[in-house]
Amino acid sequence: MSTYFMFTLKAFVNQLAFRSEVWLRLLGNYFAILIQVEIWRAVIGNGGSASTTVEQMITYSILNTLLFALLLNRVSSKVDGSLKSGSIASELIKPLSYPLYLLFDGLGQSLYQFIFTVIPSLILAWILFGMLPPASTIHFIAFLGALLMALILSFLLGYLVSLLAFWFLSHFALSWTLGGLITIFSGSFLPLWFYSPSWAAVAKLLPFQYLGYVPAAIYLGNQNEAELWRTIALGLIWIILLLVVAHWLWGKAVRRLIVQGG
Amino acid sequence: MSIIAVNGITKTYRQYRRFPGLIGSVRSLFTRQYTEEDAVNNMSFTINEGEAVGYLGPNGAGKSTMIKMMTGILVPTNGDIKVLGVVPHEARKANAQQIGVVFGQRSQLWWDLPVTDSFDLHKYIYKIPDSAFRKNLELCMSLLSVHEFVQKPVRQLSLGQRMRVEIAMALLHEPKILFLDEPTIGLDVMAKDQIRRFLRTVNRERKVTIVLTTHDMKDIEEICPRMLVVNKGSLVYDGSVEDLRAKLGSERKVIIDFRVDPGLLDIPGITLLQDEGIRKTFLVPRGESTVFEHVSRIASQYPVEDASIESLDIESVIRKLYLQLASEEQPISKIG
Repeated sequence: MSTYFMFTLKAFVNQLAFRSEVWLRLLGNYFAILIQVEIWRAVIGNGGSASTTVEQMITYSILNTLLFALLLNRVSSKVDGSLKSGSIASELIKPLSYPLYLLFDGLGQSLYQFIFTVIPSLILAWILFGMLPPASTIHFIAFLGALLMALILSFLLGYLVSLLAFWFLSHFALSWTLGGLITIFSGSFLPLWFYSPSWAAVAKLLPFQYLGYVPAAIYLGNQNEAELWRTIALGLIWIILLLVVAHWLWGKAVRRLIVQGG
Repeated sequence: MSIIAVNGITKTYRQYRRFPGLIGSVRSLFTRQYTEEDAVNNMSFTINEGEAVGYLGPNGAGKSTMIKMMTGILVPTNGDIKVLGVVPHEARKANAQQIGVVFGQRSQLWWDLPVTDSFDLHKYIYKIPDSAFRKNLELCMSLLSVHEFVQKPVRQLSLGQRMRVEIAMALLHEPKILFLDEPTIGLDVMAKDQIRRFLRTVNRERKVTIVLTTHDMKDIEEICPRMLVVNKGSLVYDGSVEDLRAKLGSERKVIIDFRVDPGLLDIPGITLLQDEGIRKTFLVPRGESTVFEHVSRIASQYPVEDASIESLDIESVIRKLYLQLASEEQPISKIG
């Protein structure tokens, strides 16, 4: 395992080469949060609706904007790059599990984002917009668990897309589709409780909600304990399901592998 | 003992048909017509422990595909392949631990990090014990003079420097077999020399089996006693450089400097290769009369200042082989 942590470390160090980007990211996050805050102030007003207050929505927006920076969204473009340039050959001649290598490499980038983007943005947003504390200790612990699930699920979804790219030799359309599904069903902008009952029912069966809605809703205490367990159980089922599919697809994909150029 | 056994290996690439033009490109989306092309066709050979084998062939002969199958990256369409007793693509990770691979055209180094970091990472990936790592690193670094640039980021290295690092790295985990896919491509003479010397040492002294593909015949001459020549996915020659030269390189090149330009010479049995006035180059086949007889016959008719006789270099031998292959398409019985 220490081998794979080395990849996390290297990916982290590699990112340090792009340090000037930190300020731009901070600025970008600031605007993203500002816009959402203004929208919710306009929509809900200062009084708050029956179920949701402006403070809750501000917290929800901050959490989701920052969560997005942590997710392992770059897996499929990394694999795609390797497939297109043929450098996948160099990755496969090492005595390594390719998916684990991708995962830990991605975690290195997330770690970098966490330290250099998420924490400063969080402090900034707290000062400028205000943020609610977690609903309870239980909810906070569950929130951390949900973050972990979000990381794993975002990796698995990106990895599945990249495996499909072994057939299509391009991941663009697939990643685009995945991005669309995440935008619609993750509830990262609009919480699922605002969805119409039928759409909310669909969203709550899919894995995408774990990439946005679930962690933030848990943090805000929007789920009681029974719901909490159900959500976590469903998330675990999704993780196992996607793992099985990914494992099966990997076996097929390697046989399809075509190394480009030379 | 054979360390690599390739038996009837075929690799077929399937290519979906594309139609030209805009309408054609739309049509391509719906077609399931495809053509199949054998990159490697029913190939069989064995390589013994400690050998150094040159794998040679024109562009598109399927050399890289074969290397990739032996390293477990590509799965053959048909046939059996055993490397160190295991099927490489079924035991990819176990196989990877036992082999070293260098691709001349792509880097395995960490582009943004100093060379030492890539070495360190390699140590972790292959789980190399400390002492062995230090010993191998020291040896490789001194033989390949890597010391001077070991702290530089990889992206700042010249091609020659980078290739030396790649080769050093491929040997750190003491592989039993070293695969090199065009290791000297694009390098200057000095870098090539150093790499060849190093590979020869590794093969002769550390008994590492070497399989290398190249287009540079000097690589073969200096490193590999045995060569495999492939064309269009099939094996067309398996043997030593000398044997091939004896089979194909029976001609001699004769350069004669005349005192005065004798004008156009037409001597039966020999071909004029190059005419520079008083210096003429002939190609003389070994036949009924020897090269000396030809030269002395010319010298008796015309005043000759100097004459030199050269055997065909290996480049010309290979060129001849490729040309022969292209014109015949039924080569194996002819030269095998």
